Amino acid sequence: MISVKDLRKTFNGQEVLKGITTEIDKGEKVAIIGPSGSGKSTFLRCLNLLEEPTSGEIWFEDKLITDPSVDINKIREHMGMVFQSFNLFANKTVMENITLAPVKLGVMGKDEAKEKALELLRRVNLEEKADVYPASLSGGQKQRIAIVRSLAMSPKVMLFDEPTSALDPEMVGEVLDVIKGLAESGMTMVIVTHEMGFAREVATRVLFIDEGIIMEENTPDKLFNAPQSKRLQDFLSKVL
Amino acid sequence: MNGIETKFYNAFIAKDRWILYFKGLGVTLEIAVIAGIIGIIIGCIVALMKLSEPKKGRKHTIWWYIATVYVDIIRGTPSVLQLLIMWFIVFSSSNNGVLVASLSFGINSGAYVSEIIRAGILAVDKGQMEAGRSLGLTKGQTMREIVLPQAFKNVLPPIGNEFITLIKETAIVGYVSLSDLTRTASQISSRTYEAFMPLIGAAVIYFVIIKILTLLLEALERRMRRSDLR
Repeated sequence: MISVKDLRKTFNGQEVLKGITTEIDKGEKVAIIGPSGSGKSTFLRCLNLLEEPTSGEIWFEDKLITDPSVDINKIREHMGMVFQSFNLFANKTVMENITLAPVKLGVMGKDEAKEKALELLRRVNLEEKADVYPASLSGGQKQRIAIVRSLAMSPKVMLFDEPTSALDPEMVGEVLDVIKGLAESGMTMVIVTHEMGFAREVATRVLFIDEGIIMEENTPDKLFNAPQSKRLQDFLSKVL
Repeated sequence: MNGIETKFYNAFIAKDRWILYFKGLGVTLEIAVIAGIIGIIIGCIVALMKLSEPKKGRKHTIWWYIATVYVDIIRGTPSVLQLLIMWFIVFSSSNNGVLVASLSFGINSGAYVSEIIRAGILAVDKGQMEAGRSLGLTKGQTMREIVLPQAFKNVLPPIGNEFITLIKETAIVGYVSLSDLTRTASQISSRTYEAFMPLIGAAVIYFVIIKILTLLLEALERRMRRSDLR
């Protein structure tokens, strides 16, 4: 579904991604782990071109999206993204947050979008928050709504950029539960995370990114139980 | 009649002079309002010019350079001088004084307003634009729906300040013999040989107008802050 070839990204002369090549198949749940500053978030943000790669190719369903002639907005409609800092639209109510993109982009009519939004909100137990502004929500509620906002576009793949890193510990569970449920429904997902337990439980494959390359990748079982490289062993001994 | 009553009578009542103050106030407000509107229009355009994204490998767009030169010139010269230049050089053949003055103040105010708006847009969290873009919305759609409404809330207090400054700054139109509130007061004082009443009277009128405006702005700001409240 997503195919990445020799992806490189340089910020102000500093190479953050040093040639990443990987394939993400339909239905896969790929967890990306690694130390801070390793380039894992940059890699994720390159997948929907929020960060423009310096060189390399990214293919999404037979389309070369790094080609400037591709309408990236059309591609992004099919790639949901959830941010560390939620980024709910502060000037819109929860309902407006969810329905804005589907209605503006002509994916759904207003009534249909509202109905779908309510159904999704019910799934995360937040339907009573439909008419409030984001400022009145807790972090966990914001993140669940941010997930719903992405799902309202019926994406083919979901990108999660450290979805629980900005949450108070007691709220991490409620957000992970929603992501788990989504994984079980068959959604293709790429998740940058520091929650090793979660990566182990949900992921079908784990990438360990360090110093701008994929140092090691494997099934969660093998990667966590029998790390090959010294760097991964060091990393795991620190975080586990 | 004692002294103060006579002075008051001469300054405001005699020959229906109070009408002159209101005429002067009319000129002041007319110039301020037209200039304010021109300033906001110019300010928006210039702010967007300054924020336009350069092509790869370039530092700034051509729009950025034009906008920067404009802002530098306006901020680098006295507004009285700008008014005199507009009056005696650029529009020397015009006989619509109020309009020339409005235009001059509008062009002046636009430079300050553009910086306010630019800062207001930059103060909106970058994540808001990213979230919009990640959903497939275009940059323009996200700007209109998400960023600008939030920026508007940011800029309302400083824009209000700018408008208040503008109202008072119009007092320099006396330099080009337009009869605004300040010049009217000074003319009356030279007619009655008594400065206290007309000048203090004019000051009170400015103060009351600006106090009313401040209260209106505060009310508007409270309404705009609704979405921040729990």
